[in-house]
Amino acid sequence: MSKHQYAMVMDLNKCLGCQTCTIACKKLWSDRDGTQHMYWNNVETRPGIGYPRQWDRIGGGWKDGQLQPSPLPTLDDYGAPWEYDYDQRLYEGKKKPVMPTPDPVSGPNWDEDVGALNGDENFYFYLLRICNHCTNPACLAACPRQAIYKRDEDGIVLLDQERCQGYRYCIAACPYKKIYFNEITGKSEKCIFCYPRLEKGEVNACAAQCPGRLRFVGLLDDPGSAVHRLVHVYKVALPLFPEKGTQPNVFYVPPFNPPRRTNYGQSILEDPRLPLEYLIYLFGAEVRDVIVRLEAELNRAQNGTQSEMLQLLIGRDAETRYQIPEPLVRIKMSIG
Amino acid sequence: MLTRRDRIFLSACTLAVAGVLAAPHLCAQRPAPAAVASPAGLVLRTAASPATPEILLEPDARAWQGVPAQRVALNRTPPLYDTDPPAELEIRYVDVRLARASEKLLLHLTWKDPTQNAEGIAALPSTQPETRDRKEHTSATERFFDAAAVMFPERAAQNGVWPSLQMGDAAGPVLIYYWNAARGAMRMQAEGRGTTRRTGETFPARALYRAGAWQVTMELPDLPAGLPLSLAVWNGAQQDRDGRKYFSVWLRLE
Repeated sequence: MSKHQYAMVMDLNKCLGCQTCTIACKKLWSDRDGTQHMYWNNVETRPGIGYPRQWDRIGGGWKDGQLQPSPLPTLDDYGAPWEYDYDQRLYEGKKKPVMPTPDPVSGPNWDEDVGALNGDENFYFYLLRICNHCTNPACLAACPRQAIYKRDEDGIVLLDQERCQGYRYCIAACPYKKIYFNEITGKSEKCIFCYPRLEKGEVNACAAQCPGRLRFVGLLDDPGSAVHRLVHVYKVALPLFPEKGTQPNVFYVPPFNPPRRTNYGQSILEDPRLPLEYLIYLFGAEVRDVIVRLEAELNRAQNGTQSEMLQLLIGRDAETRYQIPEPLVRIKMSIG
Repeated sequence: MLTRRDRIFLSACTLAVAGVLAAPHLCAQRPAPAAVASPAGLVLRTAASPATPEILLEPDARAWQGVPAQRVALNRTPPLYDTDPPAELEIRYVDVRLARASEKLLLHLTWKDPTQNAEGIAALPSTQPETRDRKEHTSATERFFDAAAVMFPERAAQNGVWPSLQMGDAAGPVLIYYWNAARGAMRMQAEGRGTTRRTGETFPARALYRAGAWQVTMELPDLPAGLPLSLAVWNGAQQDRDGRKYFSVWLRLE
């Protein structure tokens, strides 16, 4: 257990699916040789096939104290990157429209906005995913090189590029498939929770760029942090697939809004737009209690009572959403 | 303290050294034809060759025809995790030839492998990505490559004690000459499991895949007689990498 633990809370009710977080991350961290297929931050439509494909069903994580086996995702599972023939079109007189090569057959969020049917009504929502910087990381346990380590000062899980030999046991072990292999360098890579930004007092790029203001960042063990209050005080944020046993430190406010247009006056649980079973699949049985809490708070606010929880979830300004402790910033600034 | 995997590994190796058949997924190999190095004679013979190291580096050089092959039984490491299924013993032996020429030791390995896993990988460009129109792409994320290596002590044995077969130990560091079908030859050093590191140096090595078999040559330093050597083979088709491999026991260089 690390001394402190950074955490992120994402309110799925506020996500537009605009992928600004994805691009912010991509431009900053994975715009290098061999990294085109990797999105350390990705946004996928749920229900859906996921990125990489079927990541939630292929294995990894812990069961009875044992690492669970899993195949390695293929490049097509991530979506083989393609290039456009701009040169031929713009400079070499090609008449036909610009075309991609190779022919795209899959990609991240390939099934965008497809979703599923609830009765005869379509439903979907967006699931944002980064490395969960787990308290009990399966990737760390799986690495025979001790290339993966969890920082004692803030709980961020990092992969040492010097020690990594590209064996990919970590990719198999991660039940979220949030470690990626770079074949050009022969090493694996992952989300670093923007630690160089945090060390300078700047919040993670994915959070900073989010137009929906749906991300909250801080120390989970800081009673004054938004993440602590949402997870431990208001109890409205849950980890993804808790049964995988890795104890994630990324939490989600489950999607419960908006209500169906025909169910005015009814509880969301009585006539849900999203089937509760699907949310239970993602977040465990506790999601029902969370939705009850959120709905009760919404009703209180609609009846004119001030709701601190909802004000926090609205998160109007960065000071409300992010609490980057000064000591962690100063310590690192003195080094850097 | 020994982990469960250490204990399995050690008992597997003990059985292999004793020439006893172990559990199928650990060390099992049927006693191959008579040329398999027997427990009483785990010796690798060398032959002086009139050919130059440059010629002997060619895997199909005529000069190798005069060097007798010795068949060395290979063992399979146990699964790294309890939840991993045991791997099949698909490569049962490697044929070894050793020739001394011009103060070099030339190693020639031949082993059957019906699947050639040697796809080319784009080299890491020397220029910064932002100066180029296009960045190199990862071509595959789940493939592994055929490989072979020879390991020997970095320095003379202390009191006749050889280093641990598991990548040496703190008192007995080892050097590894490693060839990978996609990434080429590289020198490594280790002082026990999990400590292997690339030295950044390469060495002359060649490979030829023909008729379902690999032939690999390596130019080694002029190693002295009496030195222990261990051989390893990785089968890309079985997703071999790291300690997930085929290995021989220590063999004494004649």
